[in-house]
Amino acid sequence: MPPSHPSLRMKQKTFKIGGIHPPEHKDASLEIVWAPLPRRVVVPLSQHIGAPARAVVGKGDHVDRMQLVAECPGFVSACIHAPISGTVKSIEPLPMPGGMPQTCIVIEASEEDHTTDTRAREDFRRTLSAGNTPRVRDIEALSAADLRSIIRDAGIVGLGGAAFPSHVKYTFKPECPPEVLLINACECEPYLRCDDALMNAFPALVIDGISLLMRATGAPQAVIGIEENKTAAAEALQACIPAESGIRIQILKTKYPQGGEKQLIEAVTGRRVASGALPSSVGAIVANVATAFAAMTATAFGRPLIERVITITGEGIPADERRNYMVALGTALAELPIPTADTKIIIGGPMMGRTAVDLRGPVVKGTSGVTVLPPLRRPEPEPCLRCGACVRACPMGLEPYILSRFGKLRMWDEARERAVGDCLECGACSFSCPSGRPLLDYIRLAKQRSRK
Amino acid sequence: MNTFLATIAILGLTGLIGALLLYATSKRFDVAVDPREEAIREILPGANCGACGLKGCADFARECACRGSLEGLVCPGAGAEGMKRIAALLGTDAAPAARSTAIVHCDGSCEARPRPYVYDGAQSCAVMNAVGTGTSGCAYGCLGCGDCTAACRFGAIAMDPATGLPVIDAEKCTGCGLCAAECPRNLIEIRPEGRRGRRVWVACSSRDKGAVARKVCQAACIGCSKCAKACPFEAVTLADNLAYINPDACRTCGKCISECPSKAIHATFTPLVKNETKDV
Amino acid sequence: MILSPSPHLHTRRTVRGTMLRVCAALLPAWATGLWFFGLPVLWLTAVCILSCVLTEWAVAVLMLRRRPPVGDFSAVLTGLLLAMNLPPTLPLWMAAAGSVAAIGIAKMCFGGLGCNIFNPALVGRVFLLISFPAAMTSWIMPDGTAGATILEELKHGLASAGDAPLRAMFIGNTGGSAGEVGSAALILGGLYLLASKVIRWEIPAAILGAVALFDLCLGFPPVVDLLSGGLLLGAIFMATDYTTSPMTSRGMLVYGVLIGILTVCIRRWGAYPEGMSFAILIMNGFTPLIDTYMRPQRFSPKAAKGGAES
Repeated sequence: MPPSHPSLRMKQKTFKIGGIHPPEHKDASLEIVWAPLPRRVVVPLSQHIGAPARAVVGKGDHVDRMQLVAECPGFVSACIHAPISGTVKSIEPLPMPGGMPQTCIVIEASEEDHTTDTRAREDFRRTLSAGNTPRVRDIEALSAADLRSIIRDAGIVGLGGAAFPSHVKYTFKPECPPEVLLINACECEPYLRCDDALMNAFPALVIDGISLLMRATGAPQAVIGIEENKTAAAEALQACIPAESGIRIQILKTKYPQGGEKQLIEAVTGRRVASGALPSSVGAIVANVATAFAAMTATAFGRPLIERVITITGEGIPADERRNYMVALGTALAELPIPTADTKIIIGGPMMGRTAVDLRGPVVKGTSGVTVLPPLRRPEPEPCLRCGACVRACPMGLEPYILSRFGKLRMWDEARERAVGDCLECGACSFSCPSGRPLLDYIRLAKQRSRK
Repeated sequence: MNTFLATIAILGLTGLIGALLLYATSKRFDVAVDPREEAIREILPGANCGACGLKGCADFARECACRGSLEGLVCPGAGAEGMKRIAALLGTDAAPAARSTAIVHCDGSCEARPRPYVYDGAQSCAVMNAVGTGTSGCAYGCLGCGDCTAACRFGAIAMDPATGLPVIDAEKCTGCGLCAAECPRNLIEIRPEGRRGRRVWVACSSRDKGAVARKVCQAACIGCSKCAKACPFEAVTLADNLAYINPDACRTCGKCISECPSKAIHATFTPLVKNETKDV
Repeated sequence: MILSPSPHLHTRRTVRGTMLRVCAALLPAWATGLWFFGLPVLWLTAVCILSCVLTEWAVAVLMLRRRPPVGDFSAVLTGLLLAMNLPPTLPLWMAAAGSVAAIGIAKMCFGGLGCNIFNPALVGRVFLLISFPAAMTSWIMPDGTAGATILEELKHGLASAGDAPLRAMFIGNTGGSAGEVGSAALILGGLYLLASKVIRWEIPAAILGAVALFDLCLGFPPVVDLLSGGLLLGAIFMATDYTTSPMTSRGMLVYGVLIGILTVCIRRWGAYPEGMSFAILIMNGFTPLIDTYMRPQRFSPKAAKGGAES
């Protein structure tokens, strides 16, 4: 569907090397359902890249919703807030959805806590839906450093999946600010629609969030990279962009993995980030659209990151129940409408998501959705035909067939020479292999082991 | 006839010249090799496992011949017998090195530890370990894909299809440590043998709390500390709900073995047990 | 509960599907051969396919003690290609011997599917050409009489390139092996393979382009070369074999251009009237070298200077 807005009729761009077109399956409804608050949350101390947060509450303490429960022990870390009011029951290792244990704070709400929280949340929901943002703080008067400390104190991390602490990413030397802030609204993973839903529901807040991030980073302009299968969201955003704001929208051709940081930068600016370098080396910085929204709610409403939108979708769920939910972080997956019988449950999208086996595990900051697929097994691997499909699919221009062989044969040095470290684990190679070989499994291994 | 003879003569002459050339070059470029080095290399297993700390067997042999002594040089692959022969070649005595063999800190057999999950991916422990707990739900135990068996160059490890666990042939094991380095969960320890080749160890690595560990595996160490109390030599230490028997302090008396409620303590010998606990 | 590493989606393409598509794309050309040369083509094809499949099974199960090969149809494709490369009147036992050489020597000796260095069907054909040169160069015309191919006539100076019956060559009404005469049908099959993304454009385009350009330089009418002999069959179906051709676009172009040049060289100055098989086999041998030097274009070719680690 071509966009109707005149300023969106443009040449659609995309990244140059590799890429695939997996079936999209973006059929979840775009409405955001506010899932009821759970009575018990399990809050892991490490929901981000970097040092785990340090708990500042103890067993038996009563915490209020949004109260700080774990602080940053260092610069590269993120603090954590209570998603519900209640009593700290324990701080102990508990299984994550993948089954591996991690230290978590367990909070249980009393009836009274629950009623208060639910009422407060309902008020907030109405405020958001009404579209008028009460400026609890005078945003215009805040400096870049002020904004970054608000972002840090709200525990905001990159919500696209990597969960890198945002305040670290946005810290630049004032003398060399980034030239452009790229807003990642690609959502190139099949099935997932949480960013799409967010942009459709709260376009004004998203745009406000983007101008806020521009100020926090010092970037003079921002470009929203959005794939052409989300035209409705692009139009909603376009309608909210004020004149002279420095924000514009770039429509991109739908191709996976467009949302990869380096791919997005190339697609929009045409510049390529060198191996091992940061986006700032080409004057760019990338933030997810949900991160911009979180930064806005933190600044305007003083709300830390305690809930997020996730998509629950996939063939394992009836077509009319594939939805987006606003879920409190720490909610156990078992409390969400996820069928467990005869399914394969994936945290995130099907290309890069991880399978879940223990539904006691919680939703964390980096959870963008739950994809429930039928329990189909992978095809039986056949010999490599050397057809080159993986080589053509790889967005980093690597040779997956040979890297995978190095991984299997434990040849880490050879793998490093062929730049296995550049692999972004997007899975395009394994997807495209007609022999059904587990290419990425061994490449990932080689990538981990060849790291010095 | 003349052609015939000429052919023989020319070809014979060419062959002779070739042979002379070969002889001359082999003499000219001859590298003097210590005959002992060759003899030592014959004794070594030739697996290039690297347990000696050198690059391979040839390196080890050269080092032995150069130094003329076995000080600081041990080849676990050659064994005590082989080291004695090398020592005899060098005219020295072999230092009696304690023999070490690999043991596995997991006893989560299919029976003790059900496998409720299906794994669908590359058959490699290292790959499976990066995905999650593995098929059993135990975040610490053996994953059962046999990366250790693939790493072993002495054919000393085999996967037991009945238990899904590796079985180490102590006779063949040289203690080189390749398997221990390969195991993504660090379940294999190269453990020095005690008197009469005995070893006692805790066959579990779970750091989960007792109740949690027991839930996924009947053979899990639950950190009850009964073994520590039973040990007369204070060889058992407890950390993170897991007992560990220090091989240096352990006198392999076997008193702890019968104490363990989940039978997680394994030994290479049958301990003498009191009658009343025999049927536990 | 299923535990599995990402990705969790998989393309619908399979080895079997690919092989079947190539077989399907060959059918029009094969049918052309059947139309012009009659039933011998059918028997030849049946013998080739059957002996290829049996050889693969026998080597895998009886000699290598592997699991019996699954139905990936690669041996069927080899048999079909070999049959289409042989004179229609070839004695059937010779065709069977060629099939055994193709699968047994060229494919299974190297480790089976995906491991062979040389194109099995071409090895089978060249094996027969060297072993039974007379039988392999005795052709019949569509009317059943014995005759020579256009390339042979050119080689021996019996005809000039200007007189070549282009129209007959295009539809396949000429002497030659069963699969190579139907130029129009081969092009049709090639278009299907391109549209279904089974093959890439680089190799056929490079071969045809190089042949045409080189011919122009030599003052030889390119159309005659393009439509005669096994050039189209080779360019579309044999040189594009996945296993024995390079993997990157640049590599494919180099490979294709060199095949084209070699073919013209052999046809103009070599002992054989036809050069496609030898050109492809020679370049098969260079494929590992091409893959070593023609790496894919990297996203980020050089590492950043300094310690900008993320």
